[in-house]
Amino acid sequence: MLMSPLLRALQPVPQAPVLGLAHFGHVLALLMAGLMASFAWSGEAKSLQDWRWMDVAGEGGMVLMAAIWITQLRSSRPGGRVTSWLCLGLAGILLGEWVDVLDEFWRLPKELVWDNWLESGLTPLGMLLLTVGLQHWRVEERALSAQLLKRERLIREHRSFDAITQLGDADYLAQQIALEQQRREGPAGGALLMLRLDGFDTVAREHGLAEADRLLQAAGHLLILNLRPADLLCRYAADRFGLLLPGADAALAAQTAVHLKQALGGLAHHGLQGARLQLPARVVWSALDVSEAGAQQLLRLAARL
Amino acid sequence: MKVCPVLAVSALPGLCPMAAPRAAPVYQLGTRCLPWEHQAVLLLEFARSRGLQPAELLASAGIRTVPALLSPQQLLALLAAVQAGLNAPDTAFVLGQLSLPGHAGLASHALAQARNGRQALELLVAHSARLSPLLTPRLLWHEDELLLLWTEACGVGAAQRNFVVDMQMSAVTSLCQWLGGRRLPWRYSFNRTRPRDLSQHAVFLGADLQFDCQVDAMRVPAACLDEAWPRGVADSMAAQALAQGADPGAAGRGLLAALDDHLLPRLREAPTLEQSALAFGVSSATFKRHLAQHGTHFQAQLDQVRTHWALYLLLLQGQSHERVAQELGFHDRSNFRRSFKRWTGLVPSLLG
Repeated sequence: MLMSPLLRALQPVPQAPVLGLAHFGHVLALLMAGLMASFAWSGEAKSLQDWRWMDVAGEGGMVLMAAIWITQLRSSRPGGRVTSWLCLGLAGILLGEWVDVLDEFWRLPKELVWDNWLESGLTPLGMLLLTVGLQHWRVEERALSAQLLKRERLIREHRSFDAITQLGDADYLAQQIALEQQRREGPAGGALLMLRLDGFDTVAREHGLAEADRLLQAAGHLLILNLRPADLLCRYAADRFGLLLPGADAALAAQTAVHLKQALGGLAHHGLQGARLQLPARVVWSALDVSEAGAQQLLRLAARL
Repeated sequence: MKVCPVLAVSALPGLCPMAAPRAAPVYQLGTRCLPWEHQAVLLLEFARSRGLQPAELLASAGIRTVPALLSPQQLLALLAAVQAGLNAPDTAFVLGQLSLPGHAGLASHALAQARNGRQALELLVAHSARLSPLLTPRLLWHEDELLLLWTEACGVGAAQRNFVVDMQMSAVTSLCQWLGGRRLPWRYSFNRTRPRDLSQHAVFLGADLQFDCQVDAMRVPAACLDEAWPRGVADSMAAQALAQGADPGAAGRGLLAALDDHLLPRLREAPTLEQSALAFGVSSATFKRHLAQHGTHFQAQLDQVRTHWALYLLLLQGQSHERVAQELGFHDRSNFRRSFKRWTGLVPSLLG
């Protein structure tokens, strides 16, 4: 049983394509083999005494690490432009180091220049490509953050995300309330709001858990669309959604509450089996209390629902 | 001196099962007594709908081939695998919601047809080997309130106890809400320190939560349990069949629950390991070994039963310390006070 996490880690993970090539890893291995063959063809093998073990270990280690980085990158990112740039950059570094390693085993005639070109060209080229990739990554990250707006504010904490709705959980909401309480100067307002679907408990019993989860996803999406950019939506627990409305006064909070209740109540979710689920929503809200812990305020709201 | 009415254990049908016509089968942590299709299938179905692979869960629980019968230990290992795989705070509660009435044959059938909350809880307690095999529920009617205590069945490790307690409490809460058509005003006590995040407890159970208590229990006004349930069936065939012993396994008791059942009526006589081993039909050494396999020993179990009984007499019956000391087989008050302090960390005078 102790071995099982290790075995799971060693299992092959699906790898993202690079430049549309699903077998990028194989292409890379083929190139490495080709380089080795040309070294063996045109060079003269060094005797064992001439091997410099420190260099072999150092340069070989670099090759190995670059290979691991490529694997990790391809298994953790979807394919696309950014992934391709990053992988090509790492591949350049890997091949450059590979030529360095081969140099330790074969002595090439002085008149051959291609190995020098490869050795001093591939690694810098790889670094250049990697830099371009990182720049693209930054732009991509900014676009993603815009997409995640209303789901996360100020801090990213992937452990606090609910797997079903992709929203933050109760803990994340409480943390954000604490930040809001610290940030706020003067009575600028702010409100907490909580929503639930009336009769949600029977959905899982009558239509199955998967359908109940899909309904929650739909409700989450719908609520996000109805929020201001500064608002934060979290899944509190079960069918309870918690919202932090920074800077909202009583009028705005009341208006938002009515609006969200109508929006959620108007959602007709269609199940995979053809069932039509339309549940009335319930909502409560309160002004944000600066002195009391967020978790307590949320508990009180949940009790009122 | 005023003599308090002697409290007969027979007045507490749920705490101690009524004298069964046949001796109830006793299951241990390793006994293969849980049909695969009862709890395990439900658990794997839940895990799959949340994106886990049943085959991987079975492998990490050390189950190679699907058995016809599962031991409580294997079920606990599966639960642990699901808990670790999902790592979501609501796992215990959602699983609980799905688990009753469940798919445990006649017992589930009878539960789904219960006429009211009272009958449902009585069915749950009488057939706990089918409906709640990991934690034994016990009922206590006290004045106009009902207490549902969650006690050891066959030893859930400390690491999983809170998970299983949450699961069972959520199961009963959700069952009553589903069949009764409304949420009952349950109040909950937990034998653990207050967790940092209470959101799941507050939403799935209710707002009335107490921590740092001596027992895991839930209580509700008894009147709520007599309201007729819309789906109820009068004279349900399933309940009748069960009462006639159609499913002998349903009356089974976990080893620790069976020991509690045995000790409770005998507390005055200061029961010993030897006597209890005899009652269970094994040698003292074997009995000792069995208890060790369940992570406990005889004195610990005896002390626990005595604690619960003392708390019941002091808090609910309001009896004097002399009386309680006598009930528990102590010769004098100070001896009782010392022992009680050792069991609970509290002085009895603080309680009542």
